[in-house]
Amino acid sequence: MGMTRQYVAGELSVLLARLQAVTTTETARRDAWSLRRAAETEPIPALGPVTVRALKLTEGLCWESLNRGDTVAFTRQAAVCAELHEFGVCAGLLKET
Amino acid sequence: MAESQEPQGSEGQVSEAQIAVHWREEEYYYPPAAFVEQANAKDPAILERFTEDKFPGCFKEYADLISWDEPWHTMLDTSNPPFWKWFVGGRLNASYNCVDRHAEANPDKTAIIFVPELESDDHLEITYAELRRQVNEFAALLRDFLGLSSGDRVTLHMPMVPELPVTMLACARLGVIHSQVFGGFSGTACGHRIADSGSRVLITMDGYYRGGQLADHKVKADEAVAAARQEGQEVDKVLVWRRRAGQYASKTPMAGGRDFFVDDLLSEHSGKTVEPVSMSAEAPLFLMYTSGTTGRPKGCQHSTGGYLAYVAGTSKYYQDIHPGDVYWCMADIGWITGHSYIVYGPLALGTTTVIYEGVPNYPDGGRPWRIAEKLGVNIFHTSPTAIRMLRKVGPEEPKKYDYHFKHMTTVGEPIEPEVWRWYHSEVGKGEAVIVDTWWQTENGGFLGSTLPALQPMKPGSCGPGVLGVYPVIYDEDKKEIPAGSGKAGNICIRNPWPGIFQTIWGQPERFVQTYYAKYNKNPDSKDWRDWPYFAGDGAVQAADGYFRILGRVDDVINVAGHRLGTKEIESAALIVSEVAEAAAVPVIDDIRGRVVEVYVSLKPGFEPGKEMEDKVSKAIETEIGKIARPKNVWIVPDMPKTRSGKIMRRVIASISNFADVGDVTTLANPEIVDSIRHHVQSAKVAKDDVPRELTEAEFEEIKKFGAD
Repeated sequence: MGMTRQYVAGELSVLLARLQAVTTTETARRDAWSLRRAAETEPIPALGPVTVRALKLTEGLCWESLNRGDTVAFTRQAAVCAELHEFGVCAGLLKET
Repeated sequence: MAESQEPQGSEGQVSEAQIAVHWREEEYYYPPAAFVEQANAKDPAILERFTEDKFPGCFKEYADLISWDEPWHTMLDTSNPPFWKWFVGGRLNASYNCVDRHAEANPDKTAIIFVPELESDDHLEITYAELRRQVNEFAALLRDFLGLSSGDRVTLHMPMVPELPVTMLACARLGVIHSQVFGGFSGTACGHRIADSGSRVLITMDGYYRGGQLADHKVKADEAVAAARQEGQEVDKVLVWRRRAGQYASKTPMAGGRDFFVDDLLSEHSGKTVEPVSMSAEAPLFLMYTSGTTGRPKGCQHSTGGYLAYVAGTSKYYQDIHPGDVYWCMADIGWITGHSYIVYGPLALGTTTVIYEGVPNYPDGGRPWRIAEKLGVNIFHTSPTAIRMLRKVGPEEPKKYDYHFKHMTTVGEPIEPEVWRWYHSEVGKGEAVIVDTWWQTENGGFLGSTLPALQPMKPGSCGPGVLGVYPVIYDEDKKEIPAGSGKAGNICIRNPWPGIFQTIWGQPERFVQTYYAKYNKNPDSKDWRDWPYFAGDGAVQAADGYFRILGRVDDVINVAGHRLGTKEIESAALIVSEVAEAAAVPVIDDIRGRVVEVYVSLKPGFEPGKEMEDKVSKAIETEIGKIARPKNVWIVPDMPKTRSGKIMRRVIASISNFADVGDVTTLANPEIVDSIRHHVQSAKVAKDDVPRELTEAEFEEIKKFGAD
C-alpha cells in the first residue's frame, strides 16, 4: 500500500542490474545482487538507504579500477554511479549535495 | 480566489505540515477558457450527480461508458464485506470493449502508436482493425496451442512494446487472468510472482532497447522458471515474442519443448478469430503485484466490470480523453498506472494511446518533446520523478519544440510546488491544465484529484476526492480530523468504489487485516459505512477540501502529536558523511507518546563517540526541526538485517523499548543483536532511562514496526 510509487523500485532495480553488470569481483557481484533484491522487496521508503549503499559499492568499484589502472572498467562504473545518483536525487531517495 | 494559509504550529516548534512536507498552501491556478470549452466535464451538475446521497447509483454513469453483454441487476452487493461486488449480474468482455467495438465503428482509427527507443527506427501505428486482428490471432494461440481458458493465470514479463497490450487483451478476450510483471524486474522477482499466482505459462520477449542498448531479456525467463520451481510451481511453456521478427536478441538458448517463438506459432493462427468470452462483471481481469514486501508477494486482484467502468469514467472526466486526442502516458504498463491509463482506460474510450519503449532522456532530455511534436500528443501523463529528471537534464528543452498539451497529469507521489510550476509553465507552456492524482495499485484508478475544468489546481495538493469517492482523515483513535485543522492523519475512503481491488490473490485474511481492520466499526455489519478503506498514506485536508498527501503512515513516528517520517529522519542522518546506514525507531514515552531513537553504523575507518552522536543529532535537527531531535543516537557496528539486506527495525525498536526481540535466527547476522542489546540497554540502565513495561497494544506496535 502507499501511493503508486512502485515505479521507483522498478527503475532502481534496473539501475542495480546495470551495477551488477559492471562489477569486477564475485563479492561485488553478490553485493549488487543483494541490493537489487532489496530494491525489489523493501518497502518504498527504505529505498533511500539501498541507493546510498549502492553508491558506496559503486564508489568502491571505481577506486579499485583506478588503482588497477583499468580505465575502461572505471568509465563504465562511473557512468552507472552518475546515473544512480541522478535517479536517487530525482526520485527523492537522496538529498542533492 | 487566492488562498494563502500559513502552516500552524506553536512558537519554537516546527509545525506538523512543515515537518511532513515543508510546503505551505499555494495559490489556485485556473484552467484556460479554451480547455473548459471542450472539456468532457464542464457542467458543474456532474458534481451534484456524484454526491454521497446518490451513491452507489451515481456509478451508472461510468458503467454506461462500456458495452455490456447482459445488464447488471444490482449495482453494489455488500452482503460479504469488505468483499464488495459491483454490477452484479452484468456480463461483458474487456477485450471487446477496448478493441472490437471501436474496430467496428472506426476501423482505420489509430489505437496504438509505438515509439521505439532508437530514433532511427520509425514509429508504428496500429489501427483498431489491426489491433483486433492481432488480438484475435494471439488469443487463438493461447486457446489452441496452450489450452488456456477463463480463470487460468498467465504471467507476462514484457517490456514496453505493443505486443504487451496485444497479449493482455488476448488474455482478456478469453477470460484468462493476466499478471504482468514490470519488465525491468529480475527473473527472480518474476518467478516469485509466477509461483504465487499459480501460472503455468510465462510470456516474455527476447530483448528490448533501453539506454540505446539491446538488453537481453529472455535470460530472465530462465531465472524466473527456476525461481518458481524452487517454490513448487512448474512453468510448462514459455512464449517468447521477438523484438525484431526472425532475429533472436538473446544469447540464452531456447529450451526444447518449453520455449517457443511467438512469431513461429502465430503463422498457424493467421486470420483466426476468437469470440470474446462473456465474463461476469466480478470475474478477475488481472493481478498486479506490489513490491515492498519481503514476505509473500501481494497480488492485487482487479475485477472486469467494476475496474473497466472505473478506468473508463476517470479517463473520460479526469484525463479528459476524447476519441480524437493523442494521449501519452509515459509510465510503464508493468505498473497499475500503465494498465489503467495506457491500456484499459484510453482504449475503452477509443482514443489513440502512445507507447514509448525506452527511457525518457535517451538520447537527450529533448526526446519526450520531440515525440510529442512529431505525433501531435495533446495529453501527457507522467510522474514527479520523471519531471524532476527532465527538468534536470533539459530545463530549456520543451520550448524548443512545437507541441501543445491541453492536459497534463502527475501521478505516483506528491509533487513539490516548485517542480509543479516548471511542469506548468515550461512543459505545459502555461496552456495546459494539470491534474495531480493520488491513488494506489489497489485502487484501480484515481481517488483524489481535481476535475480539470471545474476545480482549480493547487500546486502540492492532489485536490478533493474524485467523483463518487468520499475520503476522510482519521487519527489513531478513530476520530475524524476536520478539514482546515492543519492536523495530519490517516487518509481513508469511507465508501467502496467500482475500481477497488477485490482481494489479495489467495490471501483474503491479509486483505481484510491490511485494508479494513484498522478502522472497521463493526465486523458483523453489512453496511459499507462501517468499513472505511485504510489507504496507508498520511494526509492533511485544507479548509477547501483539498488533500495533501504526506507519505506512508506506517513509517511515521508520532511525537507529541507531530508525525515524523522515519525516512526523512534517516535521510537526514545519512547526510553526515561518516554515516553508512541509519534507522529511526520509536520509543514509548509517557509524556510525549513516542520519542525517536536513531541507530547508525559508520563507514569503515571512522570511530564512534559522543562527537559523532551529536553530529547526527544536529543534522536531523537542522534538516527537520527540533521536534525530530532524537532522544538517543546509538552508534552500532552493524544493523540486524535479513539475508536480502533489509534492516530489521522491529528488532532494534524492541531493544530500545526493552521488549522481546522475537525470533532472530533467520537474520543474516543474528549475532549482532546481543551485541547491540548489551550496548544500548546497559547505557540506558546507567542513565536511568529504562522505559516502563509496554502494554499489549504498544508491544504489538513495536513488534510490527517497519514491517510491510
